Amino acid sequence: MAATSIRLDGVSKRFDHTVKGEVYAVRRVSLSVATGELLTLLGPSGCGKSTTLRMIAGFEEPDEGTISIDGRDVTHVLPNRRGIGFVFQNYALFPHLSIFENVAYGLRVQGRPETEIARAVGEVLELVGLAGYERQQPHQLSGGEQQRVALARAVVFHPKVLLFDEPLSNLDAKLRVEMREQIRSLQKRIGITTVYVTHDQEEAMAISDRIAVMDRGEVVQDGTAQDLYYRPATEFVARFIGRTNILGARVLSADEVEIEGLKVPFRSGLTAGQTARLVVRPEMIELAPASTGGEVVQHTFLGEKTDYLVKLGSSTLQATASDHSRRPILQIGQPVAVRFHAEGIHILK
Amino acid sequence: MAARGLAAETRRMLRDPALLGAVVVLWLLLGLFVLYPLAELLVRAFSDEGRFTLEPLLGSLADSHHRAAFVNSLILGGTVGVLGTVLGFLFAMTATRAGLGRHWLTLLDAAALLPLVSPPFTTSIAIVFSFGPKGFISHDLLGLDNVSAYGFWSTALAETLTYFPIAYLTLRPIIAAIDPNLEEMAFSLGGSRWRIFRTVTLPLAVPGFANAFLLLFAASLADFATPLILAGNNFPVLPTQAYLQITGMFDFKGGAVLSLMLLVPAAAVYLLQRYWVGRRVYVTVTGKVGQRSRSRAIAPWAAVLLVVATVLVAVAILYFYALLLYASLVVAFGANNSFTWQHYHVIFTEGLPAIRDTLIIALIGMPLGGFYGVLVGYLIARRRFPGRQAMEIVSMINYALPGTIVGIAYLIAFNDPPLALTGGALIIVACYIFRYSPTGIRATVALLQQIDRSLEEASASLGAGSGQTFRRVTLPLIAPAFFAGLGVVFIRSMTAISATIFLVSLSWTLITVRILENMTELALGPAAAFSVFVIVVVFVVVSGLSALLMRLRTPMAGAAARSLLGG
Repeated sequence: MAATSIRLDGVSKRFDHTVKGEVYAVRRVSLSVATGELLTLLGPSGCGKSTTLRMIAGFEEPDEGTISIDGRDVTHVLPNRRGIGFVFQNYALFPHLSIFENVAYGLRVQGRPETEIARAVGEVLELVGLAGYERQQPHQLSGGEQQRVALARAVVFHPKVLLFDEPLSNLDAKLRVEMREQIRSLQKRIGITTVYVTHDQEEAMAISDRIAVMDRGEVVQDGTAQDLYYRPATEFVARFIGRTNILGARVLSADEVEIEGLKVPFRSGLTAGQTARLVVRPEMIELAPASTGGEVVQHTFLGEKTDYLVKLGSSTLQATASDHSRRPILQIGQPVAVRFHAEGIHILK
Repeated sequence: MAARGLAAETRRMLRDPALLGAVVVLWLLLGLFVLYPLAELLVRAFSDEGRFTLEPLLGSLADSHHRAAFVNSLILGGTVGVLGTVLGFLFAMTATRAGLGRHWLTLLDAAALLPLVSPPFTTSIAIVFSFGPKGFISHDLLGLDNVSAYGFWSTALAETLTYFPIAYLTLRPIIAAIDPNLEEMAFSLGGSRWRIFRTVTLPLAVPGFANAFLLLFAASLADFATPLILAGNNFPVLPTQAYLQITGMFDFKGGAVLSLMLLVPAAAVYLLQRYWVGRRVYVTVTGKVGQRSRSRAIAPWAAVLLVVATVLVAVAILYFYALLLYASLVVAFGANNSFTWQHYHVIFTEGLPAIRDTLIIALIGMPLGGFYGVLVGYLIARRRFPGRQAMEIVSMINYALPGTIVGIAYLIAFNDPPLALTGGALIIVACYIFRYSPTGIRATVALLQQIDRSLEEASASLGAGSGQTFRRVTLPLIAPAFFAGLGVVFIRSMTAISATIFLVSLSWTLITVRILENMTELALGPAAAFSVFVIVVVFVVVSGLSALLMRLRTPMAGAAARSLLGG
């Protein structure tokens, strides 16, 4: 495993709220990002992910805790002395400068010689597919092109870390997918340590080596996309990543639980008589026509799959069938047998 | 919490040498040229041999002449406020609702804005020429003899014509922003035009009226030049009384007290305007007035009436200026109407020192004031440092105070060692900078509020320190505010008198002061010629600046604003 590049230790940030008084925007967040790794901070708006990122950049200063980059404590270092590249949600291109001058900005500030600047800017514009745009003004470019200029500007001076603050949220859906792949491949190619902020779980799963899910200022889980999907630590993570069923269960024995009257083989690790809350993903529930059991209350045909809502006891289950046999979809009111795949059940602590 | 935030802000500032340096230097300047003179004024007015006393104030209040001046100031301000608001509303309605073509609007604007960029005596001189004993209207047209052009009504008329453009500028965007669709919607619901005007348009414009009235009231209260020429002995007002107290009787203490009596209504107006009216403006004032299609909410006859009334006022204004020009070109207005260049010859020979001094002072103050305005505006709008709000308030003080107070305060503060600056050019320049740069500060703050903070953060993330960021990113983006602020400082340096009349000397004098001297010596020709000269210079500089602004704005304001400033 590569060395740690960014480390946050018990970082907190408070704000004055006119009604609630002092509130934590970020609360005792500890994180580390390995060299060359792409970590995503994921969460709903207001969860503190952007504030965390802005503290790494130095735009905000933590009230508690320390931040270090490449082993150097930068907690109180100004942003211009941290060696970071930052890509903003609104691109933040300098409207009075050409594309060339925008990208060259960081190099000019460092006082690099003209020939080196010309070469470096040319190379990086080539890299993001914007060679030939040098003399254009920012407002002449489309949103996607502007974001690529912002990306080029952020990497051209070889910063130690690259930070993205919801860079794709102003683009349309198709361009978003394209751009996130570009960002991912560029990041891998130059091997730069990256922290990426988004509220879009699909984007996070597509782009990240690791994801830290944040809720109300705290990191609630930190792991790979698979960890978060199949082994969510909390109900919040389970609900935020993908679609999910959260079900109450009673432990019958070491390897059997009861869900809404159904006996399901599952090693809960708990003793008989205890209750548990289980996470079951929709694709881990199988439905079959039957005379009794659950009842279909809604179906949505989506082509590659069909989503169902099934009433079972006091719960309404979400189930997904990706059926290749072109069987007719189950009708509303149809009684169905519900089967849970044991390997798809996760127990919440 | 506040203490912790303050500590963090202080820590940040200490690590940022450019910010620290700017804040320290600005506080030194604000302390020296805003707070210190004001403190000296208060000390002079309220102390006697080191002890606090209200005696001078009570003595002043007991003087019936001073009380009359106080009451007269209020009456004059109220009258000018009402009349000016009515005129401003008339112009604003015509400009936004009467469906005039673009060229007509430009002409209307020119007539309305002319008084704002003229030296202070222009209207007064023209009124003397029109309604004086040998006046064009009173004597030549009406055949009256020995009429007096002096007193309350001529002062009120002159001030109304001078200051109503403030009301026009305040009301026009507000009325323009009242969507004609709103009126047309009411129209479509079957309301009569008059009813719609009464129940939709007027109520929406009410905060605008209040604002315009207060601005005019304050302008009239602070006006020194007009009453000095026109009010005469029977209608004393506070600014002229304070001036006479100091220049006539060398009574600094009495002048200080009188000027402070002016402070009470001025402060009341300022607070009302800021905290009461400011929050009641229903429509967003963008300052941008687009072309609108002719609104059907105004009856054709009403539109005609509006246009006729407006044109009459505009013609009256233009007539005054034409008269001024004419008077500067004849031997003796009213007595000998043969053409001569004599008065221009006089102002460019005898009057040359005043012209030279004024231009030197204006040209020094212009760039300094422009830069100062942009710097303070930037710090207030963008940076976090201890005392930021205090700096915002202090930087506005000299702007909000009537010029008479500022002038007397400077005179008292800088008359004796260790800071014996009166008589020099420096003190006049400083007075102009700290009194007229707030326009630039406001413009900078307004512009910065439209520029996303992320631009500066981007610059910082790319390695630029705060000084570099300011120079490379912020300054180019706020250039329009810089030139606007610089323009205002120049115009006011050419036309102001109320504060600087206390600061001129034998070695440094001003055109406006020479105009006043000419008026009192009844040398009306040179006074008119000086006024024409000032108007021409201001016009040339303002046109040059606005041409520059137009060129600056093209890359910035249009598409760039759309694509980059949002998000």
